[in-house]
Amino acid sequence: MDSQSGLKEEKEQIKGSQDIINQLSVILRTSQIHDTSNIAVITSIEKFLSLFNQYYGDESSLIIDLVGEFFYINDKRVRYALEYLLNFDFLIKEFRKRQLGRVIFRNNLKSTDLQLFLKAFNLAGSSNTPYETMAEILSQSENIDIDRLKKIMEGNVDARKLVKKIYYNAVSYSKGVINKIKSGEKVNIKKAKRIVETMVDQILEEEKLLLGMTAIKDYDEYTYYHSVNVSILSIALGQRLGLSKKLLTELGLVALFHDIGKVEIPNEILNKSTNFTDEEWNLIKAHPKWGLRAILKIKGLDEISMRSAIVAFEHHMNYDLSGYPKVKSYKELDLFSRIVSVVDQYDAMTSSRVYSRIPLAPDKALSIMMERAGTQLDPLLFKFFVNMVGVFPIGTLVMLDTKELGLVYESDIVYSDRPKVLIIVDSEGKNVNGPIVDLTEKDERGRFIRTIVKTLDPNKYRINLAEYLL
Amino acid sequence: MLTLSMEITDDIKEAKDILQNIIKAKKTFRMYPKNNPVYTKVLNDSYSKFRDFFDYKDSYTLKISQNSITYDSEKIYYNPEKEDNLALFFFKDGLREITFKKGLTIEELEEFLRIISLDFDREVMDDVVTMLWERDFQNIQYVVDETFLIDIDEEEYESVSEKSIKDKITDVSDLMRAYEDGFKEDVTKPVSVVPLTDKDLQLLVKELEKDAYDKTDKLINILFEILKQADNDNDVDDVVGFLRDVIRYSLSHGDLGSVVNIIRKVKELEKDDWLSESVKKRLNSLLIFLGSEEIIAILAEILDSGIEIELDLFNEYVNVLDKGAIGPFIKYLGELKTIKARKIVIEALITLGRKDIYAIAHALEDNRWYVVRNVIYILRRIGDRKAVEYLLRTVKHSDIRVRKEVIRTLGELGGNEVIQTLRDCLNDPDIQVRLSAVKALGAIKTEVTKKIIMNLIADKSFNNKDLSEKKETFETLSRWKDQDVFEFLIKIINKRAFFNRSRIFENKACAAYTLGLIGNKDALPILHKLSDSKNKILKEFTSMAIKRLEYG
Repeated sequence: MDSQSGLKEEKEQIKGSQDIINQLSVILRTSQIHDTSNIAVITSIEKFLSLFNQYYGDESSLIIDLVGEFFYINDKRVRYALEYLLNFDFLIKEFRKRQLGRVIFRNNLKSTDLQLFLKAFNLAGSSNTPYETMAEILSQSENIDIDRLKKIMEGNVDARKLVKKIYYNAVSYSKGVINKIKSGEKVNIKKAKRIVETMVDQILEEEKLLLGMTAIKDYDEYTYYHSVNVSILSIALGQRLGLSKKLLTELGLVALFHDIGKVEIPNEILNKSTNFTDEEWNLIKAHPKWGLRAILKIKGLDEISMRSAIVAFEHHMNYDLSGYPKVKSYKELDLFSRIVSVVDQYDAMTSSRVYSRIPLAPDKALSIMMERAGTQLDPLLFKFFVNMVGVFPIGTLVMLDTKELGLVYESDIVYSDRPKVLIIVDSEGKNVNGPIVDLTEKDERGRFIRTIVKTLDPNKYRINLAEYLL
Repeated sequence: MLTLSMEITDDIKEAKDILQNIIKAKKTFRMYPKNNPVYTKVLNDSYSKFRDFFDYKDSYTLKISQNSITYDSEKIYYNPEKEDNLALFFFKDGLREITFKKGLTIEELEEFLRIISLDFDREVMDDVVTMLWERDFQNIQYVVDETFLIDIDEEEYESVSEKSIKDKITDVSDLMRAYEDGFKEDVTKPVSVVPLTDKDLQLLVKELEKDAYDKTDKLINILFEILKQADNDNDVDDVVGFLRDVIRYSLSHGDLGSVVNIIRKVKELEKDDWLSESVKKRLNSLLIFLGSEEIIAILAEILDSGIEIELDLFNEYVNVLDKGAIGPFIKYLGELKTIKARKIVIEALITLGRKDIYAIAHALEDNRWYVVRNVIYILRRIGDRKAVEYLLRTVKHSDIRVRKEVIRTLGELGGNEVIQTLRDCLNDPDIQVRLSAVKALGAIKTEVTKKIIMNLIADKSFNNKDLSEKKETFETLSRWKDQDVFEFLIKIINKRAFFNRSRIFENKACAAYTLGLIGNKDALPILHKLSDSKNKILKEFTSMAIKRLEYG
């Protein structure tokens, strides 16, 4: 199936699931006015069955779940359709009233099954034990099953899930922006702001989780991941520098767009695995200028677009003004450019790219960057950066003195050389997944229980960080 | 049970009242400025509703759907229309719930109301959620559905990506190899984390202070760097386009400094021999753009807004404009609301007018009398006699204020061709015009104009003019402090009157007063004689003249 027809099918599926929820709501509304044998009810049931067969006829069953504010059909969330909003709201309310959390319609569903469902649904509406009433009546049907509504406790949301969502939203947005610019479509900056705001919120609240996401590098879609990683790491560094929320958002946005000029470099050059020719290098070196141009063309000038353009232009210029693009009369780089430059180098060095398939281990990258501080990199900002990511950044493969092998999972602000480590090989040499141990823990005699003795390169051993960190 | 349901009803009623007040405030805040009593009243009313509510509740939570807003499961707002739909206004940006907490301050409420009263289609670049987020309210919380941020095509991105990444499962043998190598490899020498010192923090503070400056000049520098290195016309066109944007942006923020920065750089580059003519031409288009109607409109708005601008910078800006800027400046001269702004524009037009007097003079045909008057003033300040022929055509303008201004200007510009027109104006039915003409003739101060004024006074009809007109006419004559005028005045004083005595005495009084102004002490004997006159005006004016002559 080509991507075009796949997309079309996906869109149809989304529309189909919206239609199903809407039609179920229509049937229930109609049945609250008319008897279930009334022609109006029968007609709406038939329409429901027709939609059912059209969209889900090939599947063994259609499972409708209500989770929080949303309906899911066969585990896929049904998008809120504005035109069906009232019917959606009605159905949510009615489901909740009956403590109904799940309905399973099997594929040989008949009109009589649905009439029974309506009867059960309506009787349950006035029952003191609505769910039980429904369950009892529906026990007569082989084609419909129900389950009770599960309570979602507030604050019980898995923080890691939320962080993942924020991260992938950003990556997907980044992908969308690049595609839109390539095809000459309009880019929605408001969306970018909203996405960066969620990242800022997350970093202000609990930076470790989102920073952890930046350790997972995906080779196939490097450009999108890299933009988001640079944005996250920049926000985190900005937070250490004491920037306000507003400035953190600006920094996050600026960082998100820092490499936008690469859209003009042909993919065959970007993804080239051999050395660049001089001509190709010239194209690569032009991307800061193109980035500036792309940003200034996206929308009218304001503080953010101005700063984004400056950073896009300067992010490959070094602290001592070497690097590229070459400039004649220049005093110094913008603060945000220097932040992005540190972060950009770190993420690029620790990511696998086509022309550098084996990335550096995080601690090795930091060592190299240390040598560059003062010439290529701003030494003060680098110092803050190292203090932020720690001696052993997230994703570092470490050997402990307990003969355990692990991955750095979270840095420790106080003890930068004593992070939390996820054990992946235990002291007996067995492959395990956990536990997460805290290297600041001491025994009863006040000695540290575990200490890092060696770091290894996870890429050398093709260790997939995502497998452990996601 | 009844009491409970009554309580619930009251509760809902109050919740509804609060919402109604919010809606009212949203409209009011758009219409009235902050210092307007209506604005203050609506804000206070709204806050008072909240305060009453918080007497017995800890929070006020609104759940938002597309067309309705619900409080405690009760729909307290419903609007199926797209226009003026508060629910939709919040809903479209993803807001699903807003909670006002008991500690809500009036400042927070005001800020909130100001945000929701903004015109998001035109006034602001952000959406309502971003605005609320930036304010970071302590007592207003909200729940947002972020799913709409993701394109429909990308909805499954998270699960697909996660799966694809996780699919590359680590081979156990690789893992074991790492484990074994862990025992072989050298002990790690990690990067030493140098703790941050006070000096680092001081350096950081300096960096942050430096960073607080506006970035426009930095962008301008970069754009000129790119321009210098541009190897094709498209690049130059792009940069010129961006510089235009910078000009728009800077001016709309009252930042003339950056505009002048651009001007200086353009001027500097224009001198460079290595720069091609085509680039120079494109650069020059920026200077022309600076005088375009679009830019002058922005400038006019800024001038009217009261934002202080540095006059030195403004003058530098005006100096590079070409005559094309005259038209737009004239247009906005008539639209400016503040005197200060008009004065600045007038000064600009005086500078520009020197480059092309005809372009200014053409504005005398403007149909706004006040613009014509200002243009006449500008022409007078420029002082170029080439404008006379245009000014002469304006003498018959329908507005008396214009006529007065042009007569004065003609007087200051002088020249023989002006005299006859001014002479004609002496017969104008309006006293102000006549007096302006007299003064203008006085300003020309030639023998011819002296004679005209003397003849005017000598004419019989002069007797019947108001005392004030007579006095000013005589005063004008005092510009000529010569014997001719002296004798003329003495003659008037000595003139015997049989009829119309009071009018004649007015003339004598004015002549006596003028002798005082001329400063010739030979007039003292005759003035002393008159000082005993029974005519009150003559006595008073003579006395003033004597004082002036004797005591200076």
